[in-house]
Amino acid sequence: MTDQTNVKLRLNNSELWGGLIGLGLGLFVIWSGLKLKLGTINDPGSGYVLFYTGILMCAFAVSITIAAVTEGGPTFASRWQNMRWGKPVLVIVCLAAFAFALEPLGFLLSAIPLMLLLLRVIDPVRWSLAVPLSILAPLGMWWVLKHLLAIQLPSGMFEIG
Amino acid sequence: MSQRNRLMVLLAATGMLVSVAAQAQDYPTKPITLIVPWPAGGSTDISMRAIAESASKVLGQPIAVDNKAGGGGTVGPATMAAGAKPDGYTIAQIPITVFRLPLMQEVSWDPAKDFSYIVHLTGYTFGVTTNAESQFKTWQDVVDFAKKNPGKVTYASPGTGTSLHVGMEQIALMAGVKLTQVPFKGGAETNAAVLGQHTMLQADSTGWRPLVDAGKLRLLMVWTGARSPNYPDVPTLKELGYPMIYDSPFGIAGPKGMDPKIVAKLHDAFKKAIEDPAVIATLAKYDMVPNYKNTEDYKKFVVEVTESERKVIDTLGLAKK
Amino acid sequence: MDTLVNVAHGLGVALLPINLLYCFIGVFIGTLVGVLPGIGPISAMSLLLPVTLSGTPESGIIMMAGIYYGSMYGGSTTSILVNIPGEAASVVTCIDGHQMAKQGRAGPALGISAFGSFIAGTFSLVALMLVAPSLASVAIAFGPAEYFSLMVLGLVVLTFLTQGSMAKALLMACIGVVLGLVGLDSITAQPRLTFGRIELIDGIGLVPVVMGLFGVAEVLLNTEQAIKRDIIKTKITQLLPSKEDWKASSGPVARGTVLGFFLGILPGGGAVVASFASYALEKRLSKHPERFGHGAIEGVAGPESANNSAAGGAFIPLMTLGIPPNVVMALLLGAFVIHGLQPGPLMISQNPTLFWGIVASMYIGNLMLLVLNLPMIGMWVQLLRLPYNVLFPLIILFTIIGVYCSSNNVFDVHVMIAFGVIGYFMRKLGYEPAPLVLAFVLGPMLENNLRKSLILSQGDLMTFVERPISAICLAFALVLLVGPLLPSLRKKREMVALDEGA
Repeated sequence: MTDQTNVKLRLNNSELWGGLIGLGLGLFVIWSGLKLKLGTINDPGSGYVLFYTGILMCAFAVSITIAAVTEGGPTFASRWQNMRWGKPVLVIVCLAAFAFALEPLGFLLSAIPLMLLLLRVIDPVRWSLAVPLSILAPLGMWWVLKHLLAIQLPSGMFEIG
Repeated sequence: MSQRNRLMVLLAATGMLVSVAAQAQDYPTKPITLIVPWPAGGSTDISMRAIAESASKVLGQPIAVDNKAGGGGTVGPATMAAGAKPDGYTIAQIPITVFRLPLMQEVSWDPAKDFSYIVHLTGYTFGVTTNAESQFKTWQDVVDFAKKNPGKVTYASPGTGTSLHVGMEQIALMAGVKLTQVPFKGGAETNAAVLGQHTMLQADSTGWRPLVDAGKLRLLMVWTGARSPNYPDVPTLKELGYPMIYDSPFGIAGPKGMDPKIVAKLHDAFKKAIEDPAVIATLAKYDMVPNYKNTEDYKKFVVEVTESERKVIDTLGLAKK
Repeated sequence: MDTLVNVAHGLGVALLPINLLYCFIGVFIGTLVGVLPGIGPISAMSLLLPVTLSGTPESGIIMMAGIYYGSMYGGSTTSILVNIPGEAASVVTCIDGHQMAKQGRAGPALGISAFGSFIAGTFSLVALMLVAPSLASVAIAFGPAEYFSLMVLGLVVLTFLTQGSMAKALLMACIGVVLGLVGLDSITAQPRLTFGRIELIDGIGLVPVVMGLFGVAEVLLNTEQAIKRDIIKTKITQLLPSKEDWKASSGPVARGTVLGFFLGILPGGGAVVASFASYALEKRLSKHPERFGHGAIEGVAGPESANNSAAGGAFIPLMTLGIPPNVVMALLLGAFVIHGLQPGPLMISQNPTLFWGIVASMYIGNLMLLVLNLPMIGMWVQLLRLPYNVLFPLIILFTIIGVYCSSNNVFDVHVMIAFGVIGYFMRKLGYEPAPLVLAFVLGPMLENNLRKSLILSQGDLMTFVERPISAICLAFALVLLVGPLLPSLRKKREMVALDEGA
């Protein structure tokens, strides 16, 4: 990453945005702390530690933001340079779809297509390997868990697994 | 059935829809989680483990104990009420704080509606201990010291709103002193606190017994009606001039809306468990005796306890505003 | 002399064929569940508890203990191979262990953690035999104020885990604390930051957070690299640590062992703090701290020894006071009681056969583990020969199953995927996950103990300085925090940072 282009007060400075997000989170934590009541120093309430942690978060976030403004930081583009950014996005999409399918379809019906997708879409593996692997790996794991460790993976509405 | 046959049966069953009625019939078909809302190693934890172990033999499925401590024993049941399915695979020990805390503050559960009460099991022996090296030889020493130093006497309790907290506040009110409560999560922690002299006293159930027997802790009083046969020299609350008995009886419950058939199965299994001599022996180690109530009586009991607790909380000024 | 007689007596018990068998079954199951991330020793021990009731108390407890320390051995395997820490204590092993694997040195990394574990395990047992009763006081010397200060020290240690910006690491730590506090307040049972979601009442699980931030994020980072298809360079030079590796590791192993043993005695996060502290210590002592984070074997040897010797130390409060320092020890306590024994100050004198038998069997179990684990290293290393496009879906499947098994909850799988995405962006923007995880573990203990100590001291903050143990912890923390700001050290840090950027 030697070819990072440093920019100062520009909107594509990734450091600046990191700091600002941190600041936002910090403010939210302070607000939550206040809402949960601070209590007294003799008997601190539920929000006591949250409140002070929020203040610390803001302090660190401000120092990151200031550093980003004065010293500059790499742009978003430079951080993703030469990267196939589409691939992680694809993996994330597959995982999100899986997350929604897991409960209704059950483990086997959702994990097998997930494996097949991951094996074929990112860096395609030949079909003759992808198909058996995507079926046998989840099935094998399911069997070991169910019969050796007595752990039941979700079976979904079709009661498969 | 051999492993191979089981697989065949499973394959055959694959794809078949199983009706809800059949589920209650077959229950239990997988391990059951029992939430114990106290840290591992205290008197509740160990007695519940012994009971669960015996009940699991009746049910034919293992019962896994899950320690979810905090909030004076309410974090576990509250978590169950909020999220668990009423399928009988998640049940929890219900300490008295589940009824008491809602009277004292805003909480996320309603003890009257959010639980399917199953069976009432047993109660505790509570006691107040101090480190063997402490200046307090008797309870009177504590009162005398507290009168001169208001608020300086600290005691470790298993949580705000527990019987130990409420009981100590009642005692303090009657003795005309001010004590400072330090809320821990349960017996294992309060033992360490008083052993290390981080607090002057410990108010907790019989988890202190091995330490008292070993002479590391001194038992100042017990909260039972009669003196404990194990400690005939230790006075009861009544003898010290505080006309109260605390035993905080407890049972188990599941989330609301459980199938009565499943409740009945659990009830039977746990009833057998507290009749099991091995369990009675384990309970006796902690000065606990079985206190069986069936599902209906347990429900009535919950209403009664809530009412009597309301009165106590009001007199102490701890009621929620 | 008494001790020697007792040890001989204990060996007599442990060497009974039936006890040897139980011991072997225990360590074998322990190794299995240790390797599978998410499936810890707790579920295996709960399930096997009824089985142990059929035999004598010695056999049952020997087997349960075997599962526990066996799982400690296996814990580092997935950390090193695929950057998935199976438990909080092996998070720190990921940092350098996985880098070593990427450089084709998975063998030495696995080897040194097996040997380190063995040495640490053996030492902690000898220590357990010799000084158990006198160390009981250590466990109770820590009250709320001392714990609070220890947690502060633990959080300061995390600044040594980072290569980049201190401000970013501290921000991550704060976020970790906040995430750790989600759920019902441990003192008042009020819901905090749950956004009305019932799943969050129970708080966020450690396993999904760790697996997301490490395992899933690592996969996402790797898939975007077009050129280096095989993430792990295929030339695997050696399977076992070389002479140089041993030379570099002997100090870290020794220091990690002692550190881990003492921190392990403390109820609560002992093993986790021990592993992080050992890493920080080695980095501080190293002549080349810049190598840390890039596959330094010291960064594997120290923490792995520390967390295994902590497992031995953890027996002390259980055996001598009846206070279990963690859930696994509590399960053992349950097993003792159900067998009709009561751990406490009187146990060693009342049941010498049992105590010494168990200790001796743990020594034998450690030896079995070494013999069991060394040949497996070759097998694990072969796994890395798989091309990455085949390996990564398996890693994902592994994490999903691990997370689900840890809680039987689909919601946790969602949490893991969300943290995977968050972890990916964090790493892209130069924020590191290790401080967040450490703070996530320590945060709730920090909060609870801070509140208790303030109640105890009636709001007097001086309590943290007046109590000696607490004051020492805070003083250490201050030195560590201020140290890097001193000019000479600062230079060193910046060089490290530059090195990272290059």
